Amino acid sequence: MTHLTMEQLLAVREPGLEPGVAGWRDHASACDLCRAELDRLDQRVARLRALPALQPSRNRFAEIRTATSASRRRKRWVAFSAGGFAVAASLTLAVVLTRTPELSGGSAQQVAEQQELDSIIARSRSLEGAIQDYNPDQRVTDGRTAVVAASLEDRLARVDDQLQMVNMMDQSVRREAALRLWRERVGLLNALVDVHVTRARAVGF
Amino acid sequence: MDLFRLADADAVLPRVKAGDPVAQEALYRAFEVPVYNLARRICRTTEDAEDVLQETFFEVYRSIGRFRGDGSLWGWVRTIASSKALMRLRRNKYRETDELQDDITPLRREDTALRMDLETALERLSQTSRAVVWLHDVEGYTHEEIAGMMDKTVSFSKSQLARAHTRLRRWLGEEVPA
Repeated sequence: MTHLTMEQLLAVREPGLEPGVAGWRDHASACDLCRAELDRLDQRVARLRALPALQPSRNRFAEIRTATSASRRRKRWVAFSAGGFAVAASLTLAVVLTRTPELSGGSAQQVAEQQELDSIIARSRSLEGAIQDYNPDQRVTDGRTAVVAASLEDRLARVDDQLQMVNMMDQSVRREAALRLWRERVGLLNALVDVHVTRARAVGF
Repeated sequence: MDLFRLADADAVLPRVKAGDPVAQEALYRAFEVPVYNLARRICRTTEDAEDVLQETFFEVYRSIGRFRGDGSLWGWVRTIASSKALMRLRRNKYRETDELQDDITPLRREDTALRMDLETALERLSQTSRAVVWLHDVEGYTHEEIAGMMDKTVSFSKSQLARAHTRLRRWLGEEVPA
């Protein structure tokens, strides 16, 4: 019998008994050369296990904490979108439309603003869909991307908080505030899509 | 592996599940080095390994509620770390051209003459071969488990391991003339 190949030597070391392995074991125990090769293999594996542990150059815990907090914030704004989005949008619209006395007449500017608000909210929903489809929590993200995304999500959470306060604003500024916040929300979501989705496409995912 | 730190990690588990940042840091301290070491042995660069470290703990904190305690906490963390490192490896797969070159380039004179130390030889393996060697020989994963994590066949895992050991043997000057 010829000497054992590396694949056969490795199979001999495996637990269990695959077909053919018994014969290879018998050979290894009878052949000085193969037994010596098996010993060297054992020693090499032992040396691999004994290699010193490599250590990170710096403490990453603070960044991990930041990313974990960002994930919680993302869950919050996704929840805002999924549950409260429609309600918040309709409330904002309703308040803007019904509590503005001159709107019942419907000036051309007011109609245009309402259409813009409709369009912005639809755009916001579409961008959120893109981010949720991408599912950043399940993706490999480098540290820099995580920090940029966390910063955008922080700002998004603050905009959502303010959007929920729009109904309590003075009537004279309510419509303008709603439009401004929804525009800002879409701008931030656009930036988040750039960070996650566009970047992912660029690296082949 | 520091057994005291492992015991600490198990002790703080309920508080980690509750989101206690002090307990989260204790868990990080317990597993920081083994997770980084595993990632660094699989990834080509320290930057990639540090990103894997960060992604692993992010995933651990996010999913800790789903850890039922069926196996060891380290085993669970290690599986997450291995998976993240292999994802990083797949992402950087263009770098695998070094393996192709290794296959098609005739054996260079220095390959047989130069006797490398184990660290250098391990570093010189292709990323895929090194990952299989580390996961199988050091971390103790079976070929079936490695094949599952790498989305490859068991034969692929076995042949990668054999090729890696053939090269290590040569580079370490352990070849014995027949």
